[in-house]
Amino acid sequence: MFKKLIEESTGKSPWLFHINAGSCNGCDIELVSVLTPRYDAERLGFKLAGSPRHADIVVVTGPVTKQSLPRVLRAISQVPEPRCIVTMGSCPQSGNVFRGSYSVAGPLSKYVHVDVDVAGCAPKPEAVIDGLALAAQILKEKRGQMK
Amino acid sequence: MTIVIGALQYLGYVLIFPGFLFCFLAGMLLCGIDRKLVAKMQKRVGPPVLQPFYDFFKLCGKETIVPAAAERITFMLAPLVGLAALVVIQLFIPVFGFTAFSGMADIIVILYLLLIPALAIILGGAASGSPYAGVGLSREMVTIISCELPLVLVLLAVAKTVGDEMGTGLCFSLSSIAQYQMLNGSLITKISMVPAAVALLLIIPGETGNHPFDAAEAETEICEGMLAEYSGAPLGVFKLSHAVKMLTLTSLFVALFLGGLGTGILPLDVLLMFLLCAVITAVAISFVHAVTARLRIEQIFKYYWTVVSALALISLVLAWYGL
Repeated sequence: MFKKLIEESTGKSPWLFHINAGSCNGCDIELVSVLTPRYDAERLGFKLAGSPRHADIVVVTGPVTKQSLPRVLRAISQVPEPRCIVTMGSCPQSGNVFRGSYSVAGPLSKYVHVDVDVAGCAPKPEAVIDGLALAAQILKEKRGQMK
Repeated sequence: MTIVIGALQYLGYVLIFPGFLFCFLAGMLLCGIDRKLVAKMQKRVGPPVLQPFYDFFKLCGKETIVPAAAERITFMLAPLVGLAALVVIQLFIPVFGFTAFSGMADIIVILYLLLIPALAIILGGAASGSPYAGVGLSREMVTIISCELPLVLVLLAVAKTVGDEMGTGLCFSLSSIAQYQMLNGSLITKISMVPAAVALLLIIPGETGNHPFDAAEAETEICEGMLAEYSGAPLGVFKLSHAVKMLTLTSLFVALFLGGLGTGILPLDVLLMFLLCAVITAVAISFVHAVTARLRIEQIFKYYWTVVSALALISLVLAWYGL
């Protein structure tokens, strides 16, 4: 019963940690807009956490530059299990207009397992909420598979 | 036989009614009501009222990471010590006519016990070996010192008023204060007590570390300060302590200023007290959270030692002249 309770709660309380991996700040602003009164992602339990150790979902924006890659991987490894990784915008998925640049090490999926991709430049807040809700579902399943 | 029954009764007090189970349920519910109210004031839908329960159980199911630089034993034990101290305070606070433990000077005991949760979070933060925690704990210490002076003045004013009426000088017993209010009506109806009540309302968000007095746990600035390195169940216990602290301080307010005859039936009394606690939370925590921005640490210190202390001092002077 206790395990069931924890599994249910995990899906209802996903805390976000946001990593900027060389983003142009467009997606970062769109992510914050998701928490404003108009879209209010907190009604689904989403909350921005200050430290990666408190987080469940890591949101990565930006094309993952060579400078940011080791920091991104280090921050992701600080997030306790179960965790989900969501890429936001087209940049971490494909490189977008920065594809082929000498300074870009992406896409992110070359280095870590990515659970959800939210495409768009920048994606609409509705799409972001949809992607995050999907990530919360995956998080719940991951918790169910633990022990 | 009577010893066994007595021991069982005390065990029930500690584990179930004013103790752990009650603190857990009521504190978390209060925290949920606060989050919902803040959301409503900001024209949002807001999280469900049960959200703090989801957060707590989720954190119980997460992996716990102990940093390499941390002092393991202190790091893991600090949250439990803080929670235990808060539960002990709850045992002393009367619910209208009912008190689990009463003593001659329980107000002074509560004053000391209120320091322990803050001290536990400071110790835990210091043991985590994080620079963010270092900044956070220095700010937390300043916040405690800021709140302490007005809190002592408020308690002295109440003790003087009740003590004069009872003819015992200063009265530091919460159960006597509760009895006095059962006979003479709530203390807030006395003019001399109104400034003290307002001062205590302003102390509540400072003691619990809520907006705008949360410089010690500024999540956008120093990664939640002392909690930066905590994860999993210990973090959940700290979040629980924060919720229980809200319950403790609001129920202390109810016991000091809004006491009275009650209904005489314990479950109804508990419900009534919880509703009063929810109202105090709405006024002192949610409303203040919704309309203010975070203060800097020296502004917090200045605010408490001038405005709030002056209010409490006015009350003390009025009480001394027997108004």
